[in-house]
Amino acid sequence: MTVTLDLPSADATRAFAAALAGELRAGDLIILTGDLGAGKTTFTQGLGAALGVRGHVSSPTFIVAREHAAGVRADGTPGPGLVHVDAYRLGGLGELDALDLDSSLEESVTVVEWGAGLAEALTEDRLEIELVRPRGGPVDGTVDLEHPEVGNRVATVRGIGARWAGVDLGALLRTA
Amino acid sequence: MAADPLVLGIETSCDETGVALVRGNELLVDATASSMDEHARFGGIIPEVASRAHLESMIPTIQRALGEADVDLSQVDAVAVTAGPGLVGPLTIGSSAAKALAVGLGKPLYGVNHVIGHACVDQLVHGPFPERVMALVVSGGHSSLLLVDDVATNVTELGSTLDDAAGEAFDKVGRLLGLPYPGGPHVDRLAREGDPTAIRFPRGLTARKDQAEHAYDFSFSGLKTAVARWVENEQDAGRPLPLADVAASFAEAVVDVLTAKTIAACRAHDVDTLVIGGGFSANSQLREKAAARCAEAGIELRIPPIRYCTDNGAMIAALGSAVVRAGVAPSSLDFGVDSSMPLTTIHV
Repeated sequence: MTVTLDLPSADATRAFAAALAGELRAGDLIILTGDLGAGKTTFTQGLGAALGVRGHVSSPTFIVAREHAAGVRADGTPGPGLVHVDAYRLGGLGELDALDLDSSLEESVTVVEWGAGLAEALTEDRLEIELVRPRGGPVDGTVDLEHPEVGNRVATVRGIGARWAGVDLGALLRTA
Repeated sequence: MAADPLVLGIETSCDETGVALVRGNELLVDATASSMDEHARFGGIIPEVASRAHLESMIPTIQRALGEADVDLSQVDAVAVTAGPGLVGPLTIGSSAAKALAVGLGKPLYGVNHVIGHACVDQLVHGPFPERVMALVVSGGHSSLLLVDDVATNVTELGSTLDDAAGEAFDKVGRLLGLPYPGGPHVDRLAREGDPTAIRFPRGLTARKDQAEHAYDFSFSGLKTAVARWVENEQDAGRPLPLADVAASFAEAVVDVLTAKTIAACRAHDVDTLVIGGGFSANSQLREKAAARCAEAGIELRIPPIRYCTDNGAMIAALGSAVVRAGVAPSSLDFGVDSSMPLTTIHV
């Protein structure tokens, strides 16, 4: 099932992540794609906050993968951990394996940025999320440099495998 | 142990294998092997490639350091090593080597924080820190503002980046402008020919509403998006890109925020010495602006030479030396590396 939604602001991106987090549990894999500035870090920060994981979620580019220990969700229940990966510099699945991600996959929600075509083999069940930001300036042909985030981002969410077969992503994300 | 013990430092958090010997605040030798060339063709550091390179360079680099300093391993009083933050594989290679040396020599082992090492190394160049210094550590992986009361025992993180590190933003903008990896030095070179006031790119987290919660935090992600959209807009309009002006204006936005927040922190905490460390302190605009603003504010600016700002063994030996002299208990031999080690941890 594929769901598309508009994200008019960074807060909307975080709310979208929070709505999704309610459904996420340990062992889930998210493959996150989107260009520079599409909102991948913002999305993952929203996810981390809603899952209640420890530590600050920032760009994992430098260390490739950052693990956040499990904490308490916003509703007071225990949450899963979070593994946040930037696969941009990884050339193949062998290198993703070398990060020892498999060991924590079962205990955590794993988000792999730029992971399309690379991370799928980690598990048959996954959520594919694509974030698209507006290109260039708004209609009048200029860019509002004080508000570089202006304009709708569009998120496309696709559930793949048995894990997501029975989940109504549309109903889940309408609350975002 | 003598009053000034001889400390062997090992650094392997990223792509440089660094080995150094420090006695007190005196650097005896600093040897480095880099796998940078192997990474350039991939457009970034590949963890597996870096790990393998560390493994191959470790013993030759230790031997080179000992040879150049004319020191025998048996003279070493303590071994210090980076315990984090950094890449897990490379950190593991370094800490394993350090543990083996410590056990083999029967000498204490100290696992220390890489980021704090970037500040501490300045003591080897400009002498001991005064009672209280501010440290700005900026690199491809870090952008942190630290209040240092005692580099071995009392460091407070005032702020850090909420998203991309300063050097990382440079690398990503370099990629956007079609420059080779690593983008940072290329953007800097280009920026020197451009007009830093040509385009007014946004200054992250400087709005009044951010002052309460994020006075000393940094954010470069909105800036990166602004550059991307500005560039796309010019391309779509069919105009030639003024690359030098884009680079200079982008760098100006980064450096303006870094220095303004750092000077404000110095004033708020009544600190009159600023240390800047980390690979991004090689940036020419940062050096110029920091010098100008520190002079204006009556703050003494200390920036080590570039070879001690990039990753090296001296920074780890320097912090190890400070930790040993502070009488801190050695690390347990079974300590694990921590890729995202917090700045509250000076040593493990």
